[in-house]
Amino acid sequence: MSEKMGHDSSSSAKETIGAYTWTANKCMNLGVLLELGSIGVGHAATALSQILQEPISIDVPKIHTLPSHLVSKFYARHDNPTTALYMQLIGDSECDILLLFDTDEAKRIAALMTMAPSPEELDPEMEASAIEELANILIGAFLSAMSDFVDVKLTMTPPQRVVDSFDAIIDNFLVKQSMVSEIAIIFDTNFKRAGGLADSLSSCILMMFPSKEIQNVLIEKAKDWLQTPPPKPDDNIVCAPNSNLNVAEAKPEEIRK
Amino acid sequence: MRISSRTPLIATRIFGMSAAARRVDLTTLTVNASVQVPTTVPCVASGKTTVPMLEEVRVDMADMRVESRPVTLVTCVGSCVAICLHDPIHRCGGLAHIMLPSGGKDGQVIPCKYAESAVPALIEGIREVTKQDSLLTAKIAGGADMFSKLKCAMLKIGERNVEAVKQALQARCIRLLGEDVGGTNGRRISFNVVNNEVVVRSLNGVEKKL
Repeated sequence: MSEKMGHDSSSSAKETIGAYTWTANKCMNLGVLLELGSIGVGHAATALSQILQEPISIDVPKIHTLPSHLVSKFYARHDNPTTALYMQLIGDSECDILLLFDTDEAKRIAALMTMAPSPEELDPEMEASAIEELANILIGAFLSAMSDFVDVKLTMTPPQRVVDSFDAIIDNFLVKQSMVSEIAIIFDTNFKRAGGLADSLSSCILMMFPSKEIQNVLIEKAKDWLQTPPPKPDDNIVCAPNSNLNVAEAKPEEIRK
Repeated sequence: MRISSRTPLIATRIFGMSAAARRVDLTTLTVNASVQVPTTVPCVASGKTTVPMLEEVRVDMADMRVESRPVTLVTCVGSCVAICLHDPIHRCGGLAHIMLPSGGKDGQVIPCKYAESAVPALIEGIREVTKQDSLLTAKIAGGADMFSKLKCAMLKIGERNVEAVKQALQARCIRLLGEDVGGTNGRRISFNVVNNEVVVRSLNGVEKKL
């Protein structure tokens, strides 16, 4: 059994399917995307926590691959009023990124950001502007962490804010994806604010609809990263003489061990 | 796609007869319904008038549902289009939620995803319930353009959806009684299959009856 499996994986590694030259194993590709996303999400959560000055917990990010018509059933937030911020990557590789808040939660967060005494007294224009700024910062952190890691330039458009029911917002993106394939690929994660309502599952959802191009770019770059041997300690670490760091004193052989 | 022609408990309680008997005796059905529904179905106060609350059945994306029971079919659309077909004689109807104008390879499994295949599927579904061809009427809603910055390979998918639905209806000689299409807002559609009342509500509080 183990022999057979070993043979299978080696043959699939040589295969070339479309642009997925690295490996024919799709699960592996999604795993790489998920890992990159997780790195980005960690940074985004830090940014959010710094802006709101309170602890933020995040769910383990997930990639859902499911038929596009089942997505609204999957999230089951059909008529919930939702504030959505839509951003798109600029460049050759298109990618839609959505930040979704419950409309009430968006008001509360905007009130926190603008130091308004209560969410009700907040000027609607101020709220819109604050939430757009939050999206800029959050997604900026998300993308820059990813782009640092794989060395791709990722820039985005300014956010567009739309308030509507959850299903109506989502369906635009599902329609766009379903023109290409029957299966929707969605990367998502939940951010939860410590001061948020106890019964709400999340303050904010980050959703990414990776297109084929961006998947290829990220996976190719990640492959380069994985195949590059780790740098030798003596190549990269430069310490000033008399520095307090012990690294310079340690011999390379010891570090390798 | 689910087609339900079973008689729920509630209908048996109201009309006191089986589904088959109810379908035959249509005149009794209408008279009884107008008199007895408010007393047996729990009522809710909405605004000034008290209306009987019908069971709400949700229709998902790329799905359709034909009902002969007195229910309200509910769906939410953005750039998708909801097609409500009604059979005035048998007092039943169906709702389909389509995503794209056309497409799908041969042997594709979801007919209700595309406008051109959803209309025939819906007609067939209604015929299975009523067991005969009848004159249908249609009302459609949806096809909004919500994200002006959303760049699609095919631009203005909402408009194209509406256009494709209208063509498909025309090809089968179904009269379009009402429409609420375009705009920049998503819509919540509730379709009363008995009296063909379609209520389109958007999140900013605008309510429109078709």
